[in-house]
Amino acid sequence: MTAVEVTGLTKRYGGTEALRGVDLAVPEGCLFGLLGPNGAGKSTLIRTLVGALRPTDGRVRVLGLEPLKQRWELRRQIGYMPQSPALYEDLSARDNVLFFGGAHGRDGLAERAAEVLALTDLAGRAGDPVHTFSGGMKNRVSLAAALVHRPRVLFLDEPTAGVDPYLRVRFWDLFRRLASEGVTIFISTHLMDEAMLCDRVAILRAGRVIADAPPGSLLERGRAHLTVREDGRVEEADIGGRPEDLAEALRRYGLRPGVEAVRLRPDTLEDVVLSLIEQEADR
Amino acid sequence: MRRTLLVARRVLVQLVRDRRLLGLSLVAPLVIVYFLKLFLDTMPPGFDVARYAVPVAAFLVHFLAFLLSAVVLVQERTAGTLERMFINGYRRQEIIGGYLLGYLGLATLQAVVALTEVLLLFQLRYDAATLLTLFVVISLLAVASVMLGIFISTFARHEGQVFPFVPLITVPSAFLSGMLVDPHQLPAWADWLGRAFPLRYANNVIQEMIRPGGALSDAWPNLLALAAYIVVLLGLASRTMREVE
Repeated sequence: MTAVEVTGLTKRYGGTEALRGVDLAVPEGCLFGLLGPNGAGKSTLIRTLVGALRPTDGRVRVLGLEPLKQRWELRRQIGYMPQSPALYEDLSARDNVLFFGGAHGRDGLAERAAEVLALTDLAGRAGDPVHTFSGGMKNRVSLAAALVHRPRVLFLDEPTAGVDPYLRVRFWDLFRRLASEGVTIFISTHLMDEAMLCDRVAILRAGRVIADAPPGSLLERGRAHLTVREDGRVEEADIGGRPEDLAEALRRYGLRPGVEAVRLRPDTLEDVVLSLIEQEADR
Repeated sequence: MRRTLLVARRVLVQLVRDRRLLGLSLVAPLVIVYFLKLFLDTMPPGFDVARYAVPVAAFLVHFLAFLLSAVVLVQERTAGTLERMFINGYRRQEIIGGYLLGYLGLATLQAVVALTEVLLLFQLRYDAATLLTLFVVISLLAVASVMLGIFISTFARHEGQVFPFVPLITVPSAFLSGMLVDPHQLPAWADWLGRAFPLRYANNVIQEMIRPGGALSDAWPNLLALAAYIVVLLGLASRTMREVE
């Protein structure tokens, strides 16, 4: 089943067009990454998917439901972590999680709240008011509040901003585990190493999806710089990023005894994304 | 109803945790009523102090409930917690109802504090029925004030934009409600404009109840008008609190 389906989505704020005909399809259980520079429309897209924004045009379905007309049915099944923590600063981490989770009326909320606070490494500070927390800790409370009711689709708007590298790894382990359990995760990020951990990524630029593919196949759209040293002579060449391109480039050397060293520096995902963004800007 | 109670509980817990705000909300009426006492003590003998002192207690509750609910609702909007509540499945009526119940708790405390001080400082004596009616009308006024605060909050993008509304609502309310002068002495248009403010109806009930020989039987049309005002504001507040942008 398709968890998120978007066709021709447009969102205009006055004269500004934040989304310009976005098409996406995210299968259930997919860890889906949304990449793009600031102002590309990532938060607008996520807020439209969770039913906080009314699309100007186009069709949106989440778990087959229309986010505005069927919002009450949908809201039981989705979790949302906004870009800003959106928490009550006077309340404790636990009270925040219990308050947002309490809306869903599920049994065993207190136990589940303790579980998600432990998952986000907050068990020791669960009773402390949120205003005493650092930015990264607030993000952890916000994530716990988004997870507490066991949503089928989780929308996370830059969840690791301000989170230290150790915890970031633990967050991504958690996301991967949730995805393996069938939870669809729709995540926006700036970080390319995070994008590499996704099953699929879409690149959003100026309100338009300019690429939508698994990160591995995006890498193949890049270039690689090949350096070969043979009998003391250095030859350099730019080749395609596919494994077949490398085989083709090396074929003419045949690994003769004179080939002393071969170095390949492939484009990183960041290089590929930047080049796609530049190509789109040049159009 | 369960979600309404969750919102009310959360609002109350926040109020209790914010000791400074809670303390100021209770101390402010006490101090202002004392200044009113100093002012009214300068009036000539035989001056009807009750006619001014009791409505001022109501005005203080009205002012604080309106201001606090407007500011807090704007904070909810700017912090993103209002949007998050909606996305988590809280509904508009539940949020408004929760705020109402939460702030009614504070307004009730304020009403008790301010009324008790007025009665003690000005040595006013009323029977139990009058006291109960005064208490009920001030509580209804507090409900209307919270609604008005929620309604006004929709016109402000940040807390700073709430403040111009404060004098715009509370000053005409004080001048045109009959609290300071008999509204029939005002130009007809000002008399009519005064009816747009909930304090007008609350003041009418208060004046009726505290005058010698006053009775609830003469005050109920204004109590009903205040209740109708609340229903209209409830409709306006829930229409203007937008779930979707």
